[in-house]
Order: sequence, then C-alpha cells, then structure tokens
Amino acid sequence: MRQGFLEICRRHGLVALLLFLLLGTTGVSLAAEQAEELLIGIEPEHNIFDQMERYRHLADYLSDHLGITVRLTIMSRYGEGIMRFKARKLDGAFLTPYTASMGIRELNLDPVVHPVGLNNDLTSKGYIFVRRDSGIRTAADMRGKSIVFVDPATMEGYLFPLSYLQQNGIHDINNDFSRHYFSGSHASAIFAVLDGRADIGAAKSTVFKRLADQDSSIRQELHIISSSPAVPEITLCVRNELDPQLRNRLARALLEMDKNLRGQEALAHFMALRFVKAMASEFVKVEAMLEEARPALLEAGGQE
Amino acid sequence: MHFFARLLLPILLAVCMALTAAADLCAEVRIGVIMTGDIPYYQAMHKSFVEELTQQLGSRQKVEIIVQKPFPNPISWSNAARKLIAFDVNLMVTYGWPATAAALHEKSTIPLIYAGVHEPDHAAMAGKNVTGCGYKVPLSSIVRYLKNLKSFQTLGVLYSSIEEDSVRQYEAIRGLAGQQGILTRKIDIRSRNDLAQLKEHSPDAVFITGSSLTHLWIEEILALLGQKKIPAADILPHPPESEVLMTLSHPPQPQGRMAAEMAGQILAGVSPGSIAAHTFRETELVFHQGAARSLGINFPIHLLIEATRVVR
Repeated sequence: MRQGFLEICRRHGLVALLLFLLLGTTGVSLAAEQAEELLIGIEPEHNIFDQMERYRHLADYLSDHLGITVRLTIMSRYGEGIMRFKARKLDGAFLTPYTASMGIRELNLDPVVHPVGLNNDLTSKGYIFVRRDSGIRTAADMRGKSIVFVDPATMEGYLFPLSYLQQNGIHDINNDFSRHYFSGSHASAIFAVLDGRADIGAAKSTVFKRLADQDSSIRQELHIISSSPAVPEITLCVRNELDPQLRNRLARALLEMDKNLRGQEALAHFMALRFVKAMASEFVKVEAMLEEARPALLEAGGQE
Repeated sequence: MHFFARLLLPILLAVCMALTAAADLCAEVRIGVIMTGDIPYYQAMHKSFVEELTQQLGSRQKVEIIVQKPFPNPISWSNAARKLIAFDVNLMVTYGWPATAAALHEKSTIPLIYAGVHEPDHAAMAGKNVTGCGYKVPLSSIVRYLKNLKSFQTLGVLYSSIEEDSVRQYEAIRGLAGQQGILTRKIDIRSRNDLAQLKEHSPDAVFITGSSLTHLWIEEILALLGQKKIPAADILPHPPESEVLMTLSHPPQPQGRMAAEMAGQILAGVSPGSIAAHTFRETELVFHQGAARSLGINFPIHLLIEATRVVR
C-alpha cells in the first residue's frame, strides 16, 4: 500500500497526492458516519413495556453524552441476540449470564460493564422451587411431575436446573417429567408454580426476590430446593470490531454516570445504582455449569 | 340306576360349574353416586367416571349406577347416603366434601370413593374403607390476579355456611386478603333468597368458593354482579358463554377418571384403604375478555400471557 502510494506520487506528482488526501478525508467522514449510531439489543423481560421505559432513559443519556444516537431493540426472545447478533447489525447487547457467556465464547464479544441493582446486587442466582405443600423436597420426588423452565438460553431458568437434575440422576427431561415447558419469563415461571400450573419451576433470584417483596404469600408458599452460584445478572457486551475509542467512551460514560446528576436520574429510572467494569473471567462458572449440563442438553435435543 | 347315577353326576357337576362361571362373568354390581349438588362440575366429573368405568370393565361386569342429586342441604345429603345403604350398593362414590361427609357419617361398611373435594388433606376422612381424589387451587393466586386487574379494597366472598369446604375456602381467602390489606365481606348463600344480599352489598370484587348452592344459581349471581360491574373470580371452571372474569380451577375430568380407576380396583377385590388417595394440583387459569370488556377492564399483556386459555 505504501509502495503503491509512492509510485503514484512519482508518476503523478502533486495531483495524485491531492487525490489521495481527498479520498482519505472522505474515508474518515464515512467512518464517522458509521459511528453516528449505536444499536443495542435487550433481552425481553416479563413486561417489555416497563423494560423499554427503563432502558429508554439510559439510551437518552448515552446519546447526549456520546454525541451519537443510541438505539435500543428488544430481541424477540432470550438468546436471539447471539443467534442474530451479526444479522441484526447489533453493536452491543445487554445480555443475561448464559447468552453473555455464549457471546464471549462464540462471537468473541467484549464484556464492558454490569449494572449494580438498587439493593447493591450485581449478581443473580438460579433458584429451583416448588410449592411448600407439594411434598417435593428432593430431585427424586420430582420424577413424573411437571416442570417449567424460562427459556433454553437462560442460565438461571434452564442451564442451572438441567445441571442440578443431571447431578441428581435425572438425565432426560423428555421422559422423567410428565410435562416440561418454557414460560418465556422468570416471573411467569414463578407464577406458574404458585398457581399450580407446574409442580417445579426455575427462575432467577432477583426476580423471585422482587416479586416476593411485593407479595408476602410468595415466600410463604414457595420452597427453594436449590440455588446456583451467583453470576453477573446483566452484562453489556459489544462486538469486538467496535471502534476501540467508541468502546472506551461508552464504558467511561457508563462507569461515571453515577457521578453526575443527569446520570443519577437515568440510573434511577434504570433501577441501578451504578455500573461496574465487566470481565470475561466472571463467566467461568457459567461455562462450568454448561459442561455439567451438557449430557442433559444433548438428551433434551430439540429443546436446545 | 347305579350306571345312570355315575353318568349323570359329572354332567350335573359340569353344568353347575358352567352356570357359576357364567354368573361370575356377568356379575352385577351396584354403584351408588351422590353429588353434593346438581352442578356442571360434578356432572362432568360423573360423565368421565362412567366413561372410564365402562371402558375398564367392558362386558365383564354389569354395573348399575344409582345417582343421587339431592338439593344441597345436610338432610338431603344424609338421606341420599342412607338410601344408597338401603339399596345395598357395592360401592359408593361421592362428589364434593358435603356429600362425602354425609356418607362417612353413616359409618357404613360399604367402600367409599370421593372425588371433587377441595383440599382433601384438610378434611377428616381417614378410614380403611375410604379412598379418593380431590384438588387444590392456590387461593393466593386468585387474590394476586384480581389485584393485578383492578385496584380493590373490599372482596365479597360467596360461600355457603352449610358447606364445610366452602367455609374453609372463605377462611383461607380472608387470611390471604387480610395480608394484602383487603377487607373481606361474607356473602352466605343458603337459599335463593340470599341472592338479595348481592343487591345490598357492592364489594369491589367477588370471589366465588366451590359451594354447590352458589353454583346452582351462578347465572343469576353473575347477572347481578354484571349489573353492578363487579368482577368475579371462581375456583370452578365455567363454559365460555358464562362471563366470569377469571377462573383458576382444576378440570373435573381427571378426577372422574381416577375415581373410576379406583372403583375398578375395588370391584376387583382391592381394599380401598390400600389405594393411595390423590390430590390434583394442576390448575388452569382462564381469563374472559368479554367479561373484562363489559366491566371496563383491560387485561395487561403480562397477565394474558399467564393464562392457560383466554376466552375472546
């Protein structure tokens, strides 16, 4: 490239040099245009309208702070961000533990930050729970019953319960349960067990706690049989090819937003205290769980 | 003579044995059935019971089923049980706790199978001649969903003080509502005249217990509630044309089928006490959008997705 440039200079002198500079300027301008918008994906929660409202304030803050438009898009279901990260031209996504882990491993996504919740909680656990009056206390009692998972792409709502079942001698969810299904959200899985629409459920601890704080009957009626190790609940991961300068500006904007009034307001709407730096090593526990659950995942086959 | 006697004796024996065997093949049994009330829930349960039993027994056994559908009150339930004992039935089947309690009260030696009993663990019905199946609907879920649909301070509870299970449901929902700061108002239905209470009281929402008396006049009750735009939730299922805003219930058919399986075992000689009783815990959550429209209520999308079925 450099040799070519010198050759052109030798042959065409100043005209060529001017043309090169012009092209170079246009190139810079094109690059700037490409970075005028950031498209960030969000995995759906129980009430996507509330969720969109929470994230909207964050996107507005970042747009103003970075001087570029930050757009949000709700992915149709958990895990879609990973399958369609490239196809949807996402620059980043707020991902739950299993999808973040998959994204880091398979798409080389770069974990940037985690939000710290209003209760100063950064992590979530997976819970496996039953109704207290169900008589189910161990994995052995679960055979022949119905179980509700959240989504095949959730750590708390699928990977963890599969890993627990695998460790406790239940290897085939297709045959060892009378019925199994995916509720689509953590709250729905909790309500399904409360109502008696499923005997056993799995969901994440933060949603369980939030619902139980709103309704005391939930703690009275549900019994937690097992809980997973804690892992970061939400992680903003960006594509590896994102302009490093923009990536760093984005990270800085989020890490420092609790230090100014506008940022604090946006954080309050987002229901977080602050953001903290994320590291790929935090997902080792999820990878270990994946290894434990792998035989059951293979057995489940079509559900993956 | 001696020759004829020697020839006839085996023939006579063979004929006797054949007749005995034939009688056994078509032995007739009588099953007595008591419904706590002649309501669709128990009718559907009984239909499934008969279908399953017919399938199980085939032509092996002739079965006569005597069905008693007394008007729901303690004397009628008791009379129904006594009638079946007088008929000398081989087996009694009861639907609902009040009919079961009446049959148990007679202390008969006739095997008893119950079905359609809410929270059978809470009802005292131990005995070597008794088994059966019931269901449990978590009442806390009813309060939770009603709260999500409408902000309310008072909850009317339609129950019947002569139906013990219905009283238990009232007590349970009163405790649950109290935890949420909601006041409950008893609406005791013992006769049709008691429906007038619905004209006097206007609670913000109404919970309908599994009382048979209440369900005998359910359409009138729903019409009265509809006039006052009071939403209702029930623990018994309803047909789509019946505009109950929300039901959280266990379908009657599995209980009917299980009662028939138990009956088949008992008729085959198994002791009722050795057949494990069962409580069905699976429920169906049904939202009625037509009822919601009439009441001016919009189902939030996050609630609709919880429903097993939405009646549109």
